[in-house]
Amino acid sequence: MNYAMVKRLILKDWYLQRWAILASLAGVVATLGIIATGGKVAFLLGLILLITVIIAIGAQMAVSTIVTERKEQTLPFVMSLPISYREYTASKIWGNLLIFLVPWLTMVLGSFGLLLLSPSSRGLLPYAAIMSTEILLSTCLILALALITESQGWTVAAIMAGNLAVNGIGYVVAHIPGIAKGMWGSTIQWSGAASAVLLAEFTTIALLLGLTFFVQAKKNDFL
Amino acid sequence: MNDVSVHFEGVSKIYPHFTLDDLSLELPTGTIMGLIGANGAGKSTTIRILMGLVHQDRGLVHVLGREMPREQAAAKLDIGFVSEDMRLYGSATLAWHMNFVRSIYPQWDQPYAETLLRRFDLKPRQKIKGLSHGQRVKAALLLALARRPRLLVLDEPTTGLDPVARQEVLGELMAVLADEDRTILFSSHNTLDVEQISDQITFIDRGRIIASDNKEVFLDRWRRLRLVLSPEADLPSLPGVVEIGGSGRLPVLVTNRFDPAMVSACNDAGATVQAVDPMTLEEIFVVNVHSRREKQTV
Repeated sequence: MNYAMVKRLILKDWYLQRWAILASLAGVVATLGIIATGGKVAFLLGLILLITVIIAIGAQMAVSTIVTERKEQTLPFVMSLPISYREYTASKIWGNLLIFLVPWLTMVLGSFGLLLLSPSSRGLLPYAAIMSTEILLSTCLILALALITESQGWTVAAIMAGNLAVNGIGYVVAHIPGIAKGMWGSTIQWSGAASAVLLAEFTTIALLLGLTFFVQAKKNDFL
Repeated sequence: MNDVSVHFEGVSKIYPHFTLDDLSLELPTGTIMGLIGANGAGKSTTIRILMGLVHQDRGLVHVLGREMPREQAAAKLDIGFVSEDMRLYGSATLAWHMNFVRSIYPQWDQPYAETLLRRFDLKPRQKIKGLSHGQRVKAALLLALARRPRLLVLDEPTTGLDPVARQEVLGELMAVLADEDRTILFSSHNTLDVEQISDQITFIDRGRIIASDNKEVFLDRWRRLRLVLSPEADLPSLPGVVEIGGSGRLPVLVTNRFDPAMVSACNDAGATVQAVDPMTLEEIFVVNVHSRREKQTV
């Protein structure tokens, strides 16, 4: 693996997506600000906006750095460079994840900070950790499908599935007894159930990314 | 393998509706090969296999001594590639593209890049989305040429260009040809473009190579003979006749093995040769394709 080339390709995508990254960062900070003003309405509004911004940036990155690259025919330019398809895949996966981690980590740190600062909401922290990881998992699913299928239709389907999964998993997790019990308390109760769900999420992420590399390595035609 | 830049041996690629069939091809270092074929003949597939972007189902491909597609990354360090369907990033400037490519290729020639900027009348600060089609092709060509590749692969680069832009692009390619170690593969369905710059010609049709030879050999050996037959004479049997046209007493033959001695042979057989017309590459290509397709039908 030519890591220097992978790094150059990642930096290229960072440069081309710089305004989207800055906009998403500003969006995350603004929604965290809304949540920080206090009040139930501000909390709910801020939360919905925050989740929307984070899901949107993950989807936007996958579409504009992978699907659009093929659609707008910049892929032949990239593939004319001294790289293999393995290096191209690595650059897209790591580049997209790194870009996504900027607003995602801002969201995670910001929301954890707000929960810790508000004693009555501290019990929500394990649930927030699970749901943040679920959003990361949905983004990995979108990324994997965009890379494997290179199809706008499949990527949109993955975005919809990811969005539904956030709502569905959010509901299911909130009703797991080990997690639901301490959710609305003032202390953090990190249960075995919460750890198991988090572990399952990270394992799925690892499997998804591994599967993407595997499928890409089996491809024969790139243009 | 060093004196051969491109080597294809028994290469096949099967798609549901198209097959590139048993393609063998050799491109000696320092030559300029024109790959001529109609749309859908297999030119782009051949070039994509050469670049390692499409994997052949069968056969061996070596480019600059590297086995493809396994060693494509190393091979592409010495290849400049421009294709009709290649686009640059619309939101970035040409200067950004130049810096990006320069950071990858240690042999990038900045003074030459600046010369090309002036010659092609390109503005480095201009965003790609603001360029015309002709300017975009020139920008892509600049990025390929300034990396000083040992092998230049051009897939229909002049398609869609206006006559002025086409001549500028061809002119620059001809200037590049002064470097005798540079090998060029130029694909096009425009035979005039290919004729201008190539010294080796390969015709491809329906996924098969139908002829490959030196350009001068094609132009010297292919002739159209206009005959007048006397009432009692039959059509003389001549070598290499690939097409017979005209009317009964005024046949027109196309041969790919013309020899001046044929004229006297015709006269001896009772046929007067009215004219021996040289043929353009386009005419040779069209007759070649028709003749092969007729043979396939039979």
